[in-house]
Amino acid sequence: MQKLLETFLIGLSTGSIYALMSLALVLVWRSTRVVNFAQAGQAMLSTYIGFEISTRTEIFWLGLLFAIAAGALLGAGVDYFFMRVLFKHAVSGPAAVVAPVIATLGLLGLIRSIVGLIWGGEFKTIKSPASTDGFTFGETTIPFSALNLLIIVTVFVILIILAIIFQRTNLGLSLRASAYAPEIAQLAGIRTARTRTIGWAIAGGVGGVAGMLVTASNFLSPYSLDLLLVFGFIAAVIGGLESMVGSVVGALILGIALTFILNYVGTSLVFIGGFAVLIVVLLVKPDGIMARGRARRA
Amino acid sequence: MRKKLALFILLGWVLLLIGDRVDELRVYQGAQIAMYTIALASIVLLTGYSGQVSLGNGAMMAVGGYSAALTLNNLGSPVWFAFVMAVVVSALFGAFLGAAAARLSGPYLAGTTLALAVGLPEIANQFAFLGGVPGILFDVGFPPARFGEEFTQYKWFFWIASFIALLALFITSNVLQSRYGRTWRAIRSHSLAAELSGVNSGRMKILAFTISSALAGLAGAVMAMTISLVAPGAYTLSLSFALVTGAVLAGVSSLPGVVFGALILVAIPEVADVLATRWGGDENLNNYLPGLIVSVLLILSVIFTPNGPGEKLKSRHHKKA
Repeated sequence: MQKLLETFLIGLSTGSIYALMSLALVLVWRSTRVVNFAQAGQAMLSTYIGFEISTRTEIFWLGLLFAIAAGALLGAGVDYFFMRVLFKHAVSGPAAVVAPVIATLGLLGLIRSIVGLIWGGEFKTIKSPASTDGFTFGETTIPFSALNLLIIVTVFVILIILAIIFQRTNLGLSLRASAYAPEIAQLAGIRTARTRTIGWAIAGGVGGVAGMLVTASNFLSPYSLDLLLVFGFIAAVIGGLESMVGSVVGALILGIALTFILNYVGTSLVFIGGFAVLIVVLLVKPDGIMARGRARRA
Repeated sequence: MRKKLALFILLGWVLLLIGDRVDELRVYQGAQIAMYTIALASIVLLTGYSGQVSLGNGAMMAVGGYSAALTLNNLGSPVWFAFVMAVVVSALFGAFLGAAAARLSGPYLAGTTLALAVGLPEIANQFAFLGGVPGILFDVGFPPARFGEEFTQYKWFFWIASFIALLALFITSNVLQSRYGRTWRAIRSHSLAAELSGVNSGRMKILAFTISSALAGLAGAVMAMTISLVAPGAYTLSLSFALVTGAVLAGVSSLPGVVFGALILVAIPEVADVLATRWGGDENLNNYLPGLIVSVLLILSVIFTPNGPGEKLKSRHHKKA
C-alpha cells in the first residue's frame, strides 16, 4: 500500500514535468500545424542560460525566471525569423509535406551544436532548490522528496496562470480564436501572425520551465532533454494533439504509468512501455482521450 | 532492364579499378559512401516516393546491424547469411511498424519514428544479450587468401559494401520503375484519387515501409561491418538526422541523387576536421562542428531547395530549352 502511494506521488511529479513539455508542443501545433521538435533544443538552451544564472547567483528561482524569459524570446524568434521564412517559401513537390517537420529537426540539431560549442558535452548540475531526500514519517522514509512536491506545486501554479491567460484575457481569446479558425479570426480583426508568435513565446517559456525542473533532479547535457521531448510528444498524442487539457491529463497518466513500470517491473521496460502506450493510443484512439467521436483530420 | 544491368556491372568494374588506385583511407571512405547510399535509398523510397516521413532510419539500421551480428556470432553462419538475416529481420520489423504507420500521417508518423530513433539505443543498453554500451563484435573475417597478400582488410570491406550497394540500388531502381513505384507516387500526390482508382493505399504504404526498412537494415549491417562492431553509440539520433539531411540534399525523390548525398555525408566530417584544426582545434569544436554543418545544410536546403539542388538546375534547363 505504501509503495503504491509512493509510486503514485512520484509519477505525479514526473508527469507534471511531461505536462509542461506536451503543453508546449500542443500550443505550437494548434497555431502552426507543426510538431516543433526543436522544442527540446529551445528548452535546452533556455535551461543552460538558467543554469548559468542560478550557478552564479546561487538562486534557483532567478535562474528559472531567466530560463522562462530566454525560452519565450527564443520561441518568438524561431517563429519570427524561421517559420515565417519557411512558410514564405511555401513549397510544392514531393518534399512539401515533410519540409516543416524536417526544418524543426534541423533547428534542433543547430541549437544542439551551438550549445555544444559553447558549453561542451560534459554533464552540468543545477543546485536543487529543495531537498532531494525523501520525507520521513516517524521510522519510515519515502522516496517522495521536497523537490518532487515543489515540482508539482510549480507546475500547478503555471497551469493556473496559463488557464487564466487563455480563459480570462483578450490575448487568450485571440490565441484560441486564431488556432481554431485563423481566417475568420483575421477577418474579425485579430493580427493572427503576431498572435501566433506570442503563442510560440508562451510555448518556449513553458518549455524552459520544464527543462529547469527536469535538470534540478538530474543533469544537463546537449542530449539530456531528448527523452523529455519524446515523452512530451507521447503525452500530447494521448491528449489528441489539439487539447491543452488533454495534453496535461495525458502527461499525468503517462508519468504515473511509467513510474509504475519503473518501480514494479524495472528500468529496462520504461521506454518500451512508453512506446507501447504511444502505439496503442494511435491504433485504438488516434483522436486522443478527449475526442468525442470526431474523425482525426488528415 | 538489360541495359541497366550492363550499366551497373560497368559501374562495379570502375569501382574495382578505383579501389586499386587510391590509398587506404579513401578505400575505407568508399565503403562508407556505399553504406550511406543504401541508407539514403531507403529514405528516397519511403519519403520521396510513398510520401511518408520517417525520422527513425537510424533505428532501423540498428535493427539490421544487431540481427546481422547476432546471426553471425550465435549461429556461426556464413557471412552472406548474416546480411540476408539483417534484411529479413528489419523487413519484418518494418512491416509491423508499417502496419501502425499506414494509419498515421504527417506529425504522428514523424513523432513515432523519432521516438523510435531516440529510444532504440536505450533498449539496446538494457538487455544483456545485446551487449549493453560496448556492444557486440561483428567480424566478417579476413579477405580470402586467393586475392594475395597485398589485399587489405579495408579493401575487402569496400568490395563487399560496393557489391551490396550496387545490388541494392539495382533492385530499388527496378522496384521504383515498376507498377509499385508509380502507385506510390500516385498515393503521394493524391491519396484519395489513388484510392478511387482502385489502389489499396494502406497496403501499399506498408509495403513501402517494409522495403525501406529492409534497405535500412542492410545499410546497418554494412555499417556494422565497416566498424566491426554493433553498439548503441553507432546508431544515434544524430545518424538519423544525418540520413534525413543526406536525403534532402540528394533531392528526396531522385535515386541517382543518393550517391551525391552519400558523398556529402562522408565529406562533412572531413571538412569539419580541417576547419576545426584551422580554427584552433579545441575539443568542443571537434565534437560539434560536424553536427553544426549538417544542421545548417539541412535547414538551408529545406528552405531553399526542398526537392533537392537538382530541381533548380532542371527547371533552369527547361526554361532554356
